[in-house]
Amino acid sequence: MQLTDEEKRMLQGEEGLVRQKCMEQLVDLCDVAGADRLVDLDGTGDFTHAAMMSQGRYGFPLEELKALADSGAKFKIPTYSNKVPLPQVPFHGWEKCGIPQHEDPEYNKKLREEEYMSVYRQMGLFTSCTCANYLISSFWPTVGQHCSWTESSAVPYCNAVLGGRTNLDGSFASCFLGKAPYYGMHVTENRYATIVVKSERTLRTEMEWDIFGFAVGELSKLEVPALVGMADATTSKTVKINAALNTGGSIPMYHIPGVTPEAQTLELALNGKQPKETYVIGEKELRDAYDKVNYLPSEDIDFVSLGCPHYNLVDLMRVAHLLEGKKCKVRLWIMTTPWMYDLAKSQGFLKIFDDAGATLLTGTCPAAMGMPDGIKSVAMDSVKQSYYITGRYSSPEDPLHVCYGTKEDCVEAAITGKWRGEWR
Amino acid sequence: MKEIRINGRKQFGGQVTAEALVSKGPLEGFTNQNPMMGWVTEREHPLYKVPYKDKVLVYTYARGSGGFAAFGSGPNLPAAFVHHQSNALSNSAALNGRIPSVTDLEIDPTTVIETGDKVFVNGDEGYIIVYKDE
Repeated sequence: MQLTDEEKRMLQGEEGLVRQKCMEQLVDLCDVAGADRLVDLDGTGDFTHAAMMSQGRYGFPLEELKALADSGAKFKIPTYSNKVPLPQVPFHGWEKCGIPQHEDPEYNKKLREEEYMSVYRQMGLFTSCTCANYLISSFWPTVGQHCSWTESSAVPYCNAVLGGRTNLDGSFASCFLGKAPYYGMHVTENRYATIVVKSERTLRTEMEWDIFGFAVGELSKLEVPALVGMADATTSKTVKINAALNTGGSIPMYHIPGVTPEAQTLELALNGKQPKETYVIGEKELRDAYDKVNYLPSEDIDFVSLGCPHYNLVDLMRVAHLLEGKKCKVRLWIMTTPWMYDLAKSQGFLKIFDDAGATLLTGTCPAAMGMPDGIKSVAMDSVKQSYYITGRYSSPEDPLHVCYGTKEDCVEAAITGKWRGEWR
Repeated sequence: MKEIRINGRKQFGGQVTAEALVSKGPLEGFTNQNPMMGWVTEREHPLYKVPYKDKVLVYTYARGSGGFAAFGSGPNLPAAFVHHQSNALSNSAALNGRIPSVTDLEIDPTTVIETGDKVFVNGDEGYIIVYKDE
Protein backbone atom coordinates (compact mmCIF):
# COMPACT_ATOMS: atom_id res chain seq x y z
CA MET A 1 0.00 0.00 0.00
CA GLN A 2 1.53 3.28 -1.12
CA LEU A 3 0.68 6.27 1.05
CA THR A 4 1.92 9.82 0.73
CA ASP A 5 3.60 11.46 3.69
CA GLU A 6 0.45 13.45 4.34
CA GLU A 7 -1.68 10.29 4.28
CA LYS A 8 0.71 8.58 6.67
CA ARG A 9 0.51 11.51 9.07
CA MET A 10 -3.27 11.33 9.03
CA LEU A 11 -3.21 7.57 9.56
CA GLN A 12 -0.93 7.97 12.54
CA GLY A 13 -3.31 10.47 14.13
CA GLU A 14 -1.10 13.52 13.73
CA GLU A 15 -3.95 15.41 12.05
CA GLY A 16 -6.55 14.57 14.70
CA LEU A 17 -8.95 11.73 15.48
CA VAL A 18 -11.51 12.33 12.73
CA ARG A 19 -8.94 12.38 9.92
CA GLN A 20 -7.27 9.33 11.44
CA LYS A 21 -10.55 7.37 11.48
CA CYS A 22 -11.32 8.46 7.93
CA MET A 23 -7.88 7.38 6.73
CA GLU A 24 -8.20 4.02 8.51
CA GLN A 25 -11.48 3.42 6.69
CA LEU A 26 -10.03 4.31 3.29
CA VAL A 27 -6.89 2.22 3.80
CA ASP A 28 -8.97 -0.78 4.90
CA LEU A 29 -11.22 -0.32 1.87
CA CYS A 30 -8.15 -0.32 -0.36
CA ASP A 31 -7.13 -3.61 1.20
CA VAL A 32 -10.56 -5.14 0.66
CA ALA A 33 -10.80 -3.84 -2.91
CA GLY A 34 -7.26 -4.83 -3.88
CA ALA A 35 -6.22 -1.21 -4.48
CA ASP A 36 -2.65 -0.22 -3.71
CA ARG A 37 -3.14 3.52 -3.39
CA LEU A 38 -5.62 6.34 -3.00
CA VAL A 39 -6.54 8.79 -5.73
CA ASP A 40 -7.02 12.49 -5.01
CA LEU A 41 -10.55 13.51 -5.95
CA ASP A 42 -11.19 16.57 -8.09
CA GLY A 43 -14.86 16.00 -8.88
CA THR A 44 -17.87 15.72 -6.56
CA GLY A 45 -19.13 13.37 -3.90
CA ASP A 46 -22.15 12.20 -2.00
CA PHE A 47 -22.71 9.99 0.97
CA THR A 48 -25.46 8.63 3.15
CA HIS A 49 -25.22 10.04 6.59
CA ALA A 50 -25.72 7.56 9.34
CA ALA A 51 -25.54 7.95 13.06
CA MET A 52 -23.04 5.11 12.77
CA MET A 53 -20.55 7.90 12.29
CA SER A 54 -20.46 7.93 16.05
CA GLN A 55 -20.28 4.16 16.33
CA GLY A 56 -18.13 1.30 15.20
CA ARG A 57 -14.55 0.99 14.16
CA TYR A 58 -14.39 4.13 12.04
CA GLY A 59 -16.66 6.20 14.24
CA PHE A 60 -15.97 9.26 16.32
CA PRO A 61 -18.06 11.26 18.79
CA LEU A 62 -20.27 14.09 17.51
CA GLU A 63 -18.27 16.43 19.76
CA GLU A 64 -15.14 15.62 17.73
CA LEU A 65 -16.97 16.49 14.54
CA LYS A 66 -18.18 19.77 16.03
CA ALA A 67 -14.68 20.67 17.16
CA LEU A 68 -13.40 19.91 13.68
CA ALA A 69 -16.09 22.09 12.11
CA ASP A 70 -15.37 24.90 14.57
CA SER A 71 -11.71 24.72 13.60
CA GLY A 72 -12.75 25.62 10.06
CA ALA A 73 -12.42 22.19 8.43
CA LYS A 74 -14.37 21.77 5.16
CA PHE A 75 -15.19 18.95 2.79
CA LYS A 76 -12.42 18.67 0.25
CA ILE A 77 -14.79 18.33 -2.72
CA PRO A 78 -18.33 19.61 -3.41
CA THR A 79 -20.41 17.05 -1.53
CA TYR A 80 -24.12 16.31 -1.37
CA SER A 81 -26.11 14.13 1.00
CA ASN A 82 -28.05 11.09 -0.05
CA LYS A 83 -31.33 10.34 1.69
CA VAL A 84 -31.30 10.33 5.49
CA PRO A 85 -30.86 6.91 7.10
CA LEU A 86 -33.60 4.30 6.96
CA PRO A 87 -36.51 4.57 7.19
CA GLN A 88 -35.74 7.76 5.26
CA VAL A 89 -38.52 10.03 6.48
CA PRO A 90 -40.04 12.46 3.99
CA PHE A 91 -38.98 16.11 4.09
CA HIS A 92 -42.27 17.28 2.60
CA GLY A 93 -45.69 15.68 2.53
CA TRP A 94 -45.18 13.58 5.65
CA GLU A 95 -48.14 15.21 7.43
CA LYS A 96 -50.58 13.53 5.06
CA CYS A 97 -48.75 10.42 3.90
CA GLY A 98 -51.21 8.06 5.57
CA ILE A 99 -48.70 6.29 7.82
CA PRO A 100 -49.36 7.27 11.46
CA GLN A 101 -45.73 6.91 12.52
CA HIS A 102 -44.52 9.15 9.71
CA GLU A 103 -47.20 11.74 10.47
CA ASP A 104 -45.72 12.28 13.94
CA PRO A 105 -43.69 15.54 13.82
CA GLU A 106 -41.33 14.40 16.56
CA TYR A 107 -40.54 11.18 14.71
CA ASN A 108 -39.91 13.10 11.51
CA LYS A 109 -37.68 15.64 13.23
CA LYS A 110 -35.66 13.01 15.09
CA LEU A 111 -34.91 10.90 12.02
CA ARG A 112 -33.64 13.85 10.00
CA GLU A 113 -30.65 13.89 12.36
CA GLU A 114 -30.32 17.64 12.18
CA GLU A 115 -27.70 17.59 14.94
CA TYR A 116 -25.31 16.02 12.42
CA MET A 117 -26.64 17.80 9.33
CA SER A 118 -26.08 21.26 10.83
CA VAL A 119 -22.44 20.41 11.52
CA TYR A 120 -22.01 18.98 8.04
CA ARG A 121 -23.47 22.16 6.54
CA GLN A 122 -20.95 24.19 8.52
CA MET A 123 -18.31 22.05 6.82
CA GLY A 124 -19.80 22.67 3.38
CA LEU A 125 -22.09 19.70 2.82
CA PHE A 126 -25.11 20.37 0.62
CA THR A 127 -27.86 18.63 2.61
CA SER A 128 -29.92 17.80 -0.46
CA CYS A 129 -31.09 14.42 0.88
CA THR A 130 -31.86 12.64 -2.38
CA CYS A 131 -30.89 9.58 -4.37
CA ALA A 132 -30.74 11.81 -7.46
CA ASN A 133 -28.31 14.57 -6.56
CA TYR A 134 -27.20 14.75 -10.17
CA LEU A 135 -30.62 16.21 -11.02
CA ILE A 136 -30.39 19.18 -8.66
CA SER A 137 -26.70 19.64 -7.82
CA SER A 138 -26.19 22.61 -10.24
CA PHE A 139 -22.55 21.54 -10.38
CA TRP A 140 -21.44 18.40 -12.16
CA PRO A 141 -18.15 16.59 -12.61
CA THR A 142 -16.60 16.92 -16.04
CA VAL A 143 -15.05 14.17 -18.15
CA GLY A 144 -12.19 12.49 -16.34
CA GLN A 145 -12.75 14.00 -12.91
CA HIS A 146 -12.41 11.60 -10.00
CA CYS A 147 -15.47 11.42 -7.76
CA SER A 148 -16.89 9.41 -4.88
CA TRP A 149 -20.62 8.76 -5.21
CA THR A 150 -22.68 6.35 -3.19
CA GLU A 151 -26.03 5.74 -4.88
CA SER A 152 -26.25 2.70 -7.15
CA SER A 153 -28.65 4.41 -9.59
CA ALA A 154 -26.50 7.56 -9.64
CA VAL A 155 -23.07 6.00 -10.13
CA PRO A 156 -23.63 5.32 -13.87
CA TYR A 157 -24.87 8.89 -14.28
CA CYS A 158 -21.42 9.96 -13.16
CA ASN A 159 -19.46 7.38 -15.15
CA ALA A 160 -21.47 6.78 -18.30
CA VAL A 161 -23.51 9.96 -18.77
CA LEU A 162 -21.09 12.61 -17.49
CA GLY A 163 -17.74 10.89 -17.97
CA GLY A 164 -16.74 11.38 -14.35
CA ARG A 165 -15.04 8.53 -12.55
CA THR A 166 -16.46 6.87 -9.47
CA ASN A 167 -16.94 3.57 -7.76
CA LEU A 168 -19.87 3.14 -5.41
CA ASP A 169 -17.90 4.29 -2.38
CA GLY A 170 -19.07 7.77 -1.35
CA SER A 171 -18.57 8.19 2.37
CA PHE A 172 -17.86 10.95 4.86
CA ALA A 173 -14.26 9.75 4.80
CA SER A 174 -13.82 9.93 1.02
CA CYS A 175 -15.61 13.27 0.61
CA PHE A 176 -14.07 14.97 3.63
CA LEU A 177 -10.52 13.92 2.79
CA GLY A 178 -11.05 14.06 -0.98
CA LYS A 179 -9.53 10.63 -1.51
CA ALA A 180 -10.82 7.24 -2.67
CA PRO A 181 -9.31 3.81 -3.36
CA TYR A 182 -7.78 3.79 -6.83
CA TYR A 183 -9.38 0.85 -8.62
CA GLY A 184 -12.41 -0.01 -10.72
CA MET A 185 -13.89 2.96 -12.56
CA HIS A 186 -11.02 5.31 -11.65
CA VAL A 187 -8.76 3.30 -13.96
CA THR A 188 -9.03 4.07 -17.69
CA GLU A 189 -8.59 0.45 -18.85
CA ASN A 190 -11.55 -0.70 -16.74
CA ARG A 191 -13.93 1.74 -18.38
CA TYR A 192 -13.99 0.28 -21.89
CA ALA A 193 -16.85 -1.95 -22.96
CA THR A 194 -16.19 -5.67 -22.63
CA ILE A 195 -19.50 -6.92 -24.03
CA VAL A 196 -22.04 -5.69 -26.56
CA VAL A 197 -25.78 -5.89 -25.95
CA LYS A 198 -28.01 -5.20 -28.93
CA SER A 199 -31.73 -4.65 -28.88
CA GLU A 200 -33.67 -5.99 -31.87
CA ARG A 201 -36.34 -3.38 -31.25
CA THR A 202 -35.28 0.27 -31.42
CA LEU A 203 -35.83 1.42 -27.86
CA ARG A 204 -37.53 4.80 -27.70
CA THR A 205 -39.82 5.01 -24.67
CA GLU A 206 -39.00 5.36 -20.99
CA MET A 207 -40.58 1.98 -20.29
CA GLU A 208 -38.48 0.35 -23.01
CA TRP A 209 -35.29 1.84 -21.58
CA ASP A 210 -36.28 0.79 -18.06
CA ILE A 211 -37.13 -2.80 -19.01
CA PHE A 212 -34.09 -3.14 -21.28
CA GLY A 213 -31.92 -1.89 -18.41
CA PHE A 214 -33.20 -4.62 -16.12
CA ALA A 215 -32.62 -7.29 -18.79
CA VAL A 216 -29.10 -6.01 -19.52
CA GLY A 217 -28.30 -5.87 -15.81
CA GLU A 218 -29.29 -9.50 -15.38
CA LEU A 219 -27.17 -10.83 -18.22
CA SER A 220 -24.11 -8.56 -18.02
CA LYS A 221 -22.78 -9.87 -14.70
CA LEU A 222 -19.96 -7.45 -13.87
CA GLU A 223 -18.99 -6.56 -17.42
CA VAL A 224 -19.11 -3.09 -19.00
CA PRO A 225 -21.75 -3.24 -21.72
CA ALA A 226 -21.93 -1.22 -24.93
CA LEU A 227 -25.62 -0.80 -25.67
CA VAL A 228 -26.86 -0.77 -29.25
CA GLY A 229 -30.41 -0.02 -30.32
CA MET A 230 -31.17 2.94 -28.06
CA ALA A 231 -32.83 5.99 -29.56
CA ASP A 232 -34.22 9.35 -28.49
CA ALA A 233 -32.16 9.61 -25.32
CA THR A 234 -33.50 11.98 -22.66
CA THR A 235 -32.55 12.76 -19.08
CA SER A 236 -35.55 10.80 -17.79
CA LYS A 237 -34.63 7.75 -19.89
CA THR A 238 -31.01 7.72 -18.71
CA VAL A 239 -32.21 8.02 -15.12
CA LYS A 240 -34.49 5.03 -15.71
CA ILE A 241 -31.90 2.81 -17.32
CA ASN A 242 -29.29 3.61 -14.68
CA ALA A 243 -31.61 2.51 -11.90
CA ALA A 244 -32.74 -0.59 -13.80
CA LEU A 245 -29.19 -1.67 -14.69
CA ASN A 246 -28.39 -1.56 -10.99
CA THR A 247 -31.47 -3.51 -9.99
CA GLY A 248 -31.06 -6.39 -12.42
CA GLY A 249 -27.30 -6.17 -12.08
CA SER A 250 -24.40 -4.08 -10.89
CA ILE A 251 -23.33 -1.83 -13.75
CA PRO A 252 -21.39 1.29 -12.75
CA MET A 253 -20.41 2.00 -16.36
CA TYR A 254 -21.81 1.48 -19.85
CA HIS A 255 -21.58 3.08 -23.25
CA ILE A 256 -24.20 4.06 -25.77
CA PRO A 257 -22.14 4.77 -28.89
CA GLY A 258 -22.87 8.23 -30.20
CA VAL A 259 -24.64 9.27 -27.00
CA THR A 260 -22.38 8.82 -23.98
CA PRO A 261 -19.23 10.96 -23.94
CA GLU A 262 -16.52 8.31 -23.86
CA ALA A 263 -17.69 6.44 -26.96
CA GLN A 264 -18.68 8.20 -30.14
CA THR A 265 -18.51 4.83 -31.89
CA LEU A 266 -18.80 1.18 -30.90
CA GLU A 267 -15.13 0.69 -31.78
CA LEU A 268 -14.13 3.45 -29.35
CA ALA A 269 -16.36 1.95 -26.67
CA LEU A 270 -14.51 -1.36 -27.08
CA ASN A 271 -11.10 0.34 -27.35
CA GLY A 272 -10.65 -1.38 -30.68
CA LYS A 273 -10.90 -4.86 -29.15
CA GLN A 274 -13.33 -7.69 -29.76
CA PRO A 275 -16.11 -8.02 -27.17
CA LYS A 276 -16.05 -11.09 -24.95
CA GLU A 277 -19.69 -11.67 -25.92
CA THR A 278 -22.36 -10.10 -28.05
CA TYR A 279 -25.90 -10.54 -26.77
CA VAL A 280 -29.11 -9.83 -28.61
CA ILE A 281 -32.19 -8.84 -26.63
CA GLY A 282 -35.28 -9.73 -28.64
CA GLU A 283 -38.99 -9.45 -27.98
CA LYS A 284 -39.01 -12.56 -25.78
CA GLU A 285 -36.25 -11.26 -23.51
CA LEU A 286 -37.95 -7.88 -23.14
CA ARG A 287 -41.25 -9.56 -22.37
CA ASP A 288 -39.60 -11.83 -19.79
CA ALA A 289 -38.06 -8.82 -18.06
CA TYR A 290 -41.39 -6.99 -18.10
CA ASP A 291 -43.10 -10.03 -16.56
CA LYS A 292 -40.55 -10.08 -13.75
CA VAL A 293 -41.25 -6.52 -12.71
CA ASN A 294 -44.98 -6.55 -13.50
CA TYR A 295 -45.33 -9.00 -10.65
CA LEU A 296 -48.62 -10.83 -10.11
CA PRO A 297 -50.56 -7.89 -11.58
CA SER A 298 -54.15 -7.40 -10.53
CA GLU A 299 -56.99 -5.42 -12.05
CA ASP A 300 -57.77 -3.50 -8.86
CA ILE A 301 -55.23 -1.01 -7.54
CA ASP A 302 -55.22 0.52 -4.08
CA PHE A 303 -51.98 2.53 -4.08
CA VAL A 304 -49.84 4.25 -6.71
CA SER A 305 -46.32 5.61 -6.36
CA LEU A 306 -44.28 7.54 -8.94
CA GLY A 307 -40.76 8.91 -8.85
CA CYS A 308 -38.03 6.33 -8.39
CA PRO A 309 -35.39 7.65 -8.78
CA HIS A 310 -36.70 11.02 -7.60
CA TYR A 311 -38.53 12.89 -10.33
CA ASN A 312 -36.99 15.81 -12.18
CA LEU A 313 -38.97 18.97 -12.90
CA VAL A 314 -40.12 17.79 -16.33
CA ASP A 315 -41.44 14.53 -14.91
CA LEU A 316 -43.36 16.51 -12.29
CA MET A 317 -44.81 18.71 -15.01
CA ARG A 318 -45.91 15.73 -17.06
CA VAL A 319 -47.73 14.21 -14.10
CA ALA A 320 -49.29 17.59 -13.27
CA HIS A 321 -50.61 17.80 -16.81
CA LEU A 322 -52.10 14.30 -16.51
CA LEU A 323 -53.74 15.12 -13.18
CA GLU A 324 -55.02 18.60 -13.95
CA GLY A 325 -58.73 18.78 -13.18
CA LYS A 326 -58.87 15.09 -12.13
CA LYS A 327 -59.53 13.40 -8.79
CA CYS A 328 -57.63 10.37 -7.54
CA LYS A 329 -59.69 7.42 -6.45
CA VAL A 330 -56.78 5.77 -4.65
CA ARG A 331 -53.76 7.21 -2.84
CA LEU A 332 -51.07 8.58 -5.18
CA TRP A 333 -47.58 9.45 -3.98
CA ILE A 334 -45.24 11.46 -6.19
CA MET A 335 -41.60 11.36 -5.09
CA THR A 336 -39.02 14.03 -5.75
CA THR A 337 -36.02 15.71 -4.18
CA PRO A 338 -36.53 18.13 -1.27
CA TRP A 339 -35.01 20.98 -3.28
CA MET A 340 -37.54 20.44 -6.07
CA TYR A 341 -40.50 21.04 -3.77
CA ASP A 342 -40.46 24.83 -3.96
CA LEU A 343 -40.04 24.70 -7.73
CA ALA A 344 -43.06 22.42 -8.01
CA LYS A 345 -44.96 24.84 -5.81
CA SER A 346 -43.97 27.95 -7.74
CA GLN A 347 -44.85 26.29 -11.05
CA GLY A 348 -48.33 25.44 -9.77
CA PHE A 349 -47.79 21.68 -9.85
CA LEU A 350 -48.24 21.31 -6.10
CA LYS A 351 -51.70 22.86 -6.23
CA ILE A 352 -52.68 20.52 -9.07
CA PHE A 353 -51.47 17.54 -7.04
CA ASP A 354 -53.28 18.75 -3.93
CA ASP A 355 -56.50 19.42 -5.81
CA ALA A 356 -56.34 15.93 -7.32
CA GLY A 357 -55.80 14.36 -3.91
CA ALA A 358 -52.24 13.29 -4.72
CA THR A 359 -49.33 13.81 -2.30
CA LEU A 360 -45.94 15.21 -3.22
CA LEU A 361 -43.35 13.60 -0.96
CA THR A 362 -39.66 14.44 -0.95
CA GLY A 363 -36.45 12.74 0.11
CA THR A 364 -37.65 9.16 0.37
CA CYS A 365 -39.46 6.28 -1.41
CA PRO A 366 -41.97 3.56 -0.50
CA ALA A 367 -39.38 0.79 -0.29
CA ALA A 368 -37.47 2.87 2.27
CA MET A 369 -40.26 4.45 4.32
CA GLY A 370 -43.01 1.87 3.85
CA MET A 371 -46.57 2.22 2.62
CA PRO A 372 -49.87 2.77 4.43
CA ASP A 373 -51.34 -0.35 6.02
CA GLY A 374 -53.56 -2.71 4.12
CA ILE A 375 -52.13 -2.23 0.64
CA LYS A 376 -52.67 -5.31 -1.52
CA SER A 377 -51.90 -4.03 -5.00
CA VAL A 378 -49.64 -1.17 -6.05
CA ALA A 379 -48.91 0.52 -9.35
CA MET A 380 -45.44 1.92 -10.04
CA ASP A 381 -43.50 3.32 -12.98
CA SER A 382 -40.09 2.12 -11.84
CA VAL A 383 -38.38 -1.23 -12.33
CA LYS A 384 -36.26 -0.52 -9.28
CA GLN A 385 -39.13 0.30 -6.96
CA SER A 386 -41.14 -2.66 -8.22
CA TYR A 387 -38.31 -5.07 -7.54
CA TYR A 388 -37.58 -3.78 -4.04
CA ILE A 389 -41.06 -3.13 -2.68
CA THR A 390 -41.86 -6.85 -2.53
CA GLY A 391 -38.71 -7.45 -0.49
CA ARG A 392 -40.08 -5.14 2.16
CA TYR A 393 -43.52 -6.72 2.02
CA SER A 394 -42.50 -10.28 1.32
CA SER A 395 -45.08 -12.92 1.99
CA PRO A 396 -45.51 -15.87 -0.37
CA GLU A 397 -48.83 -16.67 1.30
CA ASP A 398 -50.25 -13.19 0.71
CA PRO A 399 -47.99 -11.60 -1.87
CA LEU A 400 -48.03 -7.94 -2.76
CA HIS A 401 -49.23 -7.38 -6.32
CA VAL A 402 -47.05 -4.93 -8.23
CA CYS A 403 -48.34 -3.46 -11.46
CA TYR A 404 -45.56 -1.87 -13.47
CA GLY A 405 -46.14 0.58 -16.29
CA THR A 406 -45.77 4.05 -17.68
CA LYS A 407 -46.51 7.32 -15.89
CA GLU A 408 -49.71 7.49 -17.90
CA ASP A 409 -50.74 3.95 -16.89
CA CYS A 410 -50.05 4.73 -13.25
CA VAL A 411 -51.88 8.06 -13.18
CA GLU A 412 -54.86 6.43 -14.85
CA ALA A 413 -54.77 3.73 -12.18
CA ALA A 414 -54.76 6.39 -9.46
CA ILE A 415 -57.78 8.07 -11.01
CA THR A 416 -59.80 4.92 -11.75
CA GLY A 417 -58.50 2.37 -9.24
CA LYS A 418 -58.08 -0.04 -12.18
CA TRP A 419 -54.94 -1.28 -13.92
CA ARG A 420 -54.85 -1.01 -17.69
CA GLY A 421 -51.11 -1.05 -18.23
CA GLU A 422 -49.46 -3.48 -20.61
CA TRP A 423 -46.17 -4.15 -22.35
CA ARG A 424 -45.99 -2.12 -25.51
CA MET B 1 -12.78 -37.11 1.39
CA LYS B 2 -11.86 -35.23 -1.74
CA GLU B 3 -10.34 -31.78 -1.37
CA ILE B 4 -10.67 -29.13 -4.08
CA ARG B 5 -8.58 -25.98 -3.74
CA ILE B 6 -9.71 -22.84 -5.54
CA ASN B 7 -7.41 -19.84 -5.60
CA GLY B 8 -8.63 -16.29 -5.46
CA ARG B 9 -7.97 -12.98 -3.80
CA LYS B 10 -8.06 -12.04 -0.17
CA GLN B 11 -10.93 -9.65 0.43
CA PHE B 12 -10.96 -9.75 4.22
CA GLY B 13 -8.63 -11.70 6.47
CA GLY B 14 -9.31 -14.57 8.83
CA GLN B 15 -9.76 -18.32 8.50
CA VAL B 16 -12.79 -20.49 9.15
CA THR B 17 -14.25 -23.88 8.22
CA ALA B 18 -18.02 -24.12 8.00
CA GLU B 19 -20.90 -25.50 5.97
CA ALA B 20 -21.70 -23.76 2.72
CA LEU B 21 -24.95 -22.09 1.77
CA VAL B 22 -24.84 -21.63 -1.99
CA SER B 23 -26.65 -19.19 -4.24
CA LYS B 24 -26.12 -20.21 -7.85
CA GLY B 25 -26.89 -16.65 -8.85
CA PRO B 26 -26.28 -13.16 -7.51
CA LEU B 27 -27.46 -11.76 -4.20
CA GLU B 28 -29.14 -8.41 -3.77
CA GLY B 29 -29.40 -6.12 -0.75
CA PHE B 30 -31.54 -3.19 0.49
CA THR B 31 -35.10 -4.50 1.05
CA ASN B 32 -34.28 -7.77 -0.69
CA GLN B 33 -32.26 -8.84 2.33
CA ASN B 34 -33.02 -8.68 6.04
CA PRO B 35 -29.88 -8.18 8.13
CA MET B 36 -31.71 -8.64 11.42
CA MET B 37 -33.05 -12.05 10.41
CA GLY B 38 -29.98 -12.97 8.41
CA TRP B 39 -31.68 -14.02 5.21
CA VAL B 40 -32.63 -13.02 1.68
CA THR B 41 -36.11 -11.59 0.99
CA GLU B 42 -35.83 -11.24 -2.79
CA ARG B 43 -38.91 -12.61 -4.51
CA GLU B 44 -38.49 -15.98 -6.21
CA HIS B 45 -34.90 -16.24 -4.94
CA PRO B 46 -33.82 -19.85 -4.21
CA LEU B 47 -32.46 -18.76 -0.82
CA TYR B 48 -35.62 -16.87 0.16
CA LYS B 49 -35.66 -16.75 3.99
CA VAL B 50 -32.97 -19.43 4.32
CA PRO B 51 -30.81 -18.40 7.30
CA TYR B 52 -27.16 -17.81 6.46
CA LYS B 53 -25.94 -17.36 10.03
CA ASP B 54 -22.62 -19.16 10.60
CA LYS B 55 -22.59 -20.51 7.01
CA VAL B 56 -20.04 -19.88 4.33
CA LEU B 57 -22.22 -17.75 2.07
CA VAL B 58 -21.23 -18.70 -1.48
CA TYR B 59 -22.59 -16.72 -4.41
CA THR B 60 -21.68 -15.50 -7.86
CA TYR B 61 -21.62 -11.70 -7.45
CA ALA B 62 -23.39 -8.85 -5.72
CA ARG B 63 -25.98 -6.77 -7.53
CA GLY B 64 -28.37 -3.94 -6.86
CA SER B 65 -28.37 -1.21 -4.27
CA GLY B 66 -25.53 0.00 -2.07
CA GLY B 67 -27.61 -1.47 0.73
CA PHE B 68 -25.76 -4.70 -0.07
CA ALA B 69 -23.32 -3.63 2.66
CA ALA B 70 -25.93 -4.88 5.15
CA PHE B 71 -24.96 -8.47 4.35
CA GLY B 72 -22.11 -7.59 6.70
CA SER B 73 -24.41 -6.21 9.41
CA GLY B 74 -26.75 -7.51 12.06
CA PRO B 75 -26.72 -10.25 14.67
CA ASN B 76 -26.82 -13.18 12.23
CA LEU B 77 -23.68 -12.84 10.14
CA PRO B 78 -22.38 -15.60 7.87
CA ALA B 79 -19.14 -17.31 8.89
CA ALA B 80 -17.49 -16.18 5.66
CA PHE B 81 -18.13 -14.75 2.21
CA VAL B 82 -17.01 -16.62 -0.91
CA HIS B 83 -17.95 -15.23 -4.30
CA HIS B 84 -16.72 -15.46 -7.86
CA GLN B 85 -16.28 -11.78 -8.70
CA SER B 86 -15.93 -8.77 -6.45
CA ASN B 87 -17.32 -5.30 -6.91
CA ALA B 88 -17.87 -2.22 -4.77
CA LEU B 89 -20.95 -3.82 -3.21
CA SER B 90 -19.22 -6.97 -2.02
CA ASN B 91 -16.22 -4.91 -0.88
CA SER B 92 -18.47 -2.87 1.39
CA ALA B 93 -20.14 -5.98 2.79
CA ALA B 94 -16.78 -7.59 3.55
CA LEU B 95 -15.46 -4.44 5.21
CA ASN B 96 -18.66 -4.09 7.18
CA GLY B 97 -18.81 -7.71 8.29
CA ARG B 98 -15.10 -8.15 9.01
CA ILE B 99 -15.41 -11.89 8.40
CA PRO B 100 -13.12 -14.07 6.25
CA SER B 101 -13.81 -13.25 2.62
CA VAL B 102 -12.30 -14.64 -0.56
CA THR B 103 -13.22 -13.45 -4.04
CA ASP B 104 -12.09 -13.12 -7.66
CA LEU B 105 -11.71 -16.90 -7.75
CA GLU B 106 -10.18 -18.68 -10.74
CA ILE B 107 -13.44 -20.56 -11.27
CA ASP B 108 -17.00 -19.83 -10.26
CA PRO B 109 -17.25 -21.53 -6.85
CA THR B 110 -21.00 -22.05 -7.24
CA THR B 111 -20.23 -24.60 -9.97
CA VAL B 112 -18.23 -26.69 -7.49
CA ILE B 113 -19.71 -26.13 -4.05
CA GLU B 114 -23.12 -27.47 -3.04
CA THR B 115 -25.10 -26.33 -0.03
CA GLY B 116 -23.97 -28.44 2.92
CA ASP B 117 -20.40 -28.98 1.70
CA LYS B 118 -17.71 -28.17 4.23
CA VAL B 119 -15.51 -25.29 3.06
CA PHE B 120 -12.28 -23.94 4.51
CA VAL B 121 -11.98 -20.22 3.79
CA ASN B 122 -8.53 -18.71 4.09
CA GLY B 123 -9.09 -14.97 3.94
CA ASP B 124 -5.49 -14.31 4.89
CA GLU B 125 -4.01 -15.97 1.82
CA GLY B 126 -6.96 -15.81 -0.56
CA TYR B 127 -7.99 -19.37 -1.28
CA ILE B 128 -10.65 -21.89 -0.30
CA ILE B 129 -10.71 -25.66 0.05
CA VAL B 130 -13.92 -27.55 -0.60
CA TYR B 131 -14.38 -30.94 1.05
CA LYS B 132 -16.45 -33.47 -0.91
CA ASP B 133 -17.41 -37.01 0.03
CA GLU B 134 -15.75 -39.51 -2.33
